Amino acid sequence: MMMPRVDRNTPVLVQGITGRAGRRHSRLMRRYGTRIVGGVSPNAAVGDIDGVPVFAGCREAVAATGATASVLLVGPMHLLGAIRDAVEAGIGLVVTPTEGMPVHDALKALRLVRAAGATWIGASTPGMAVPGEGKLGFLPDSALLPGPLGIASKSGTLSYEAGYRLVQRGIGQSVWVGVGGDPVKGTCFADLVPFYASDPATGAVLVIGEIGGRDEEELAEALIAHRFAKPVFALIAGRGSPEGVTMGHAGALVHGAYGSFAAKQAALERAGVRVFATLDEMVDGVTKWHSRA
Amino acid sequence: MYLLEHDAKELLAAHGIPLPLGVLTDNTGALASLPPGPWVVKAQLAAGGRGKAGGIRKTATPDETRAAVADILRTRIRGLPVRSCRIEQQVNAAAEAYLSLMIDATRAGVRVLIAPRGGMEIEAMATGCGLLRSAVCDPDAPAVAACTRELCADLVPPLRTALAAAGASLAQPFFDYECTLLEINPLFVRPDGSWVAGDAKMITDDNALARQGALSQLLQQRADTYPEVALKRCYGCDYVVVDPDGEIGLLTTGAGLSMMLIDELRQSGLRPYNFLDVRTGGLRGDPARLVHVLNWIARGPRIRVILVNVFAGITDLGEFARLLLAALEQAPRLRAPVVARLAGNGVETARSVLEAAGIAVVTELGAAVARVRAHLGAANAA
Repeated sequence: MMMPRVDRNTPVLVQGITGRAGRRHSRLMRRYGTRIVGGVSPNAAVGDIDGVPVFAGCREAVAATGATASVLLVGPMHLLGAIRDAVEAGIGLVVTPTEGMPVHDALKALRLVRAAGATWIGASTPGMAVPGEGKLGFLPDSALLPGPLGIASKSGTLSYEAGYRLVQRGIGQSVWVGVGGDPVKGTCFADLVPFYASDPATGAVLVIGEIGGRDEEELAEALIAHRFAKPVFALIAGRGSPEGVTMGHAGALVHGAYGSFAAKQAALERAGVRVFATLDEMVDGVTKWHSRA
Repeated sequence: MYLLEHDAKELLAAHGIPLPLGVLTDNTGALASLPPGPWVVKAQLAAGGRGKAGGIRKTATPDETRAAVADILRTRIRGLPVRSCRIEQQVNAAAEAYLSLMIDATRAGVRVLIAPRGGMEIEAMATGCGLLRSAVCDPDAPAVAACTRELCADLVPPLRTALAAAGASLAQPFFDYECTLLEINPLFVRPDGSWVAGDAKMITDDNALARQGALSQLLQQRADTYPEVALKRCYGCDYVVVDPDGEIGLLTTGAGLSMMLIDELRQSGLRPYNFLDVRTGGLRGDPARLVHVLNWIARGPRIRVILVNVFAGITDLGEFARLLLAALEQAPRLRAPVVARLAGNGVETARSVLEAAGIAVVTELGAAVARVRAHLGAANAA
């Protein structure tokens, strides 16, 4: 997977722009600096939303605007169709914040995104941001600051808290990717390893994980396989959660030997990752690195 | 949704999967509708390891069966109470094998696992003996059938015939019910190559419930059996009481931050009552969900303070603050003081709305926890 570069010139579509979330977050993304060139909606007849032209489908929107990325603010049962519409129109980066995508739909979406050679971030994610350039999704502005830390996160809210506290210490981010908490997702932690390794703006990586699934374990394998040389920090949520109780994300369901806090901590530490159990310890650890760097 | 074996089998029966006849019971009274014996009595709960925990017993007479039901209904397995048993016909003169289908997230496909032996030691077999075989295929029924056929191509005929047929038959319900896991262990294989699903472990995707008629219906009829899924389906949020004697009611959003907050409160010696991912982004201008949540929290006998923690991404905090005030008015049973920590989009509006109503808003979580501690200190001293 190639992570496309995003900056203030990247032309972005919003699919579902006429909906409640689509309208509000198009405005907030534009306020942050994202270049939104068009919207897509079955209600294309509205013509425009706050001056952004609205199209009936991605093909027309791409033809008219040259968009290369899209943020999909549509309901979970419509995501698969919207993703298909985007990649068939040649969109290279698809970001889907929507929660609740059926996992069998996610399997189909992942296959068609891979076949098209596109990148999919989501679902169940606040999206991604290149601070100072633009954001695709709704990472809160108060947690964003240009800086050297790459952030990759499963959990939205925990990453806001982590990013915000680091910003208060003056530590900002290079590229922040919310991979999302779904078990089948477009981009997982391991997929981002080559990107962060080669990204000159990234000096270290903070991974915000969660019990359940194998993403952290696979990340550890990828770090070792790529001989990743930059410092990696991790904060894992759910240490005190009982086994088998789902605490929200479908991915946070612990089954068997992998997926537990201890299994993730052990795998990550073998790969040289510094694993923290609390926000304060994580902030102190990253701050120490930053003050030496 | 992790289905009880009995519910999974009813759903599989509708797809023509061969199963032992069985009935569900939650008491030791009349067992009139029993199929012909001998029987096996099986604890019904959504957790593995029932056999090793004494939750599965073979019986030969109705009296033995009644006694086994009574015993099993008194046990707890993995800390969970057993509320019902399935009594079904024993399957005799058959070999035991293993077959499961599961979503493989990394490979974006379906993983088929088979083993020529089944039973309770399947996990040891997986790691030790090398008898477990698996492969990943495309997520569709013909691919699963072909994949299973290939995996068992070199097995002896009754096993090969039975497992290949089982793979082809089980693929349909796996996709139709949008399962994430469908495991048959043991899968009984008779010398003539016919097969019977001895057990059925079925986990379906909660996100697909809205378009899954049979599962929605089951959930509606048996909400008490699947309380957490029913809650999520009805109210759109995740709520778990983590400590019945907890003193801090949490009104929080985001699973990751909520879990971390619980861990950190506990580490500092405080007792949170509940986990909650209320999903403030999905309230859509209606306080109803918040009212439900506040009423659930009000059931905690030792609740002393409510901690609200919302770091807004998709949420507009101004709107959330107005909904919170409306909800507090509609949940008068909850008399504990409220500490609100809000950060993110719309925090200025939220602050003026809540402070006008006498609820102080802090922006730092550490400061909020200090206030919670102060309230608890005051309550304990009083």
